[in-house]
Amino acid sequence: MKFEKAVQKSIKEFLAGRMPEKMMEMSEGELQYTPEYFDEMQENYSSTEVVNPEEMETADDA
Amino acid sequence: MTPNFKRPIAGAHYTSDTRNYPWHRPPDITDYDGAVEYMINLINDTEKTEMVFAMLKIEAHIATVVSTLLLQVIAKGKIPIDLAILIAGPLARYVEIISEDVGITTEMGVDNKNRMVITPTLLRSALGIVEEDEAPEQEDLMMAPPAEAPMGLMAPPNPDVAPPDEQAAMLGDVPVEEEPEDVV
Repeated sequence: MKFEKAVQKSIKEFLAGRMPEKMMEMSEGELQYTPEYFDEMQENYSSTEVVNPEEMETADDA
Repeated sequence: MTPNFKRPIAGAHYTSDTRNYPWHRPPDITDYDGAVEYMINLINDTEKTEMVFAMLKIEAHIATVVSTLLLQVIAKGKIPIDLAILIAGPLARYVEIISEDVGITTEMGVDNKNRMVITPTLLRSALGIVEEDEAPEQEDLMMAPPAEAPMGLMAPPNPDVAPPDEQAAMLGDVPVEEEPEDVV
């Protein structure tokens, strides 16, 4: 298997919400970067409103 | 038969230095969270962020971008190859999130064999578009009477075949009257 194919397969598994079982067993504590972590990150990104820099300038002038 | 001397001597692999390349040495990062954190920090670097966004703007898939970044750190000996493959998923997700945040349309580039192929027919049926106009037109064409054959000089040849006598006459096969042999 080529490296690119392996990367694609890994991405596909992660997007399906699956983590490598053996690695989970071997890790001592809980892993931080899980699919749920990135779902929360996405929610945080989408909830923060992007402020247009031009609007900020006009607000400062007023 | 001359012996081939252009080959390594027996045991040469024991004498070669296997630490020539960074990936031959033990990697710097060996744990999952540490590797993901290192890669996220790397992507957050201004130059890398520019490169990632530039690649995505030319419609490169996220999987391609991620494998490019991973190959760079593997080449430097930071992360082993197997761990790099394991952290490809989180990295792809992170790249997807930050690119969505800046409004870049991305594609993951992971082929899904189970997906349904979208065809125009499928799209029409999904949208409830029924083509009522096209079918009657085809029926009309089938039922239309045949057009009359053009009769001009420059018209294409008539498909109706001429009778055999007319064909023979056109070819010059005209019966010749026999002349009397003795003419006085």
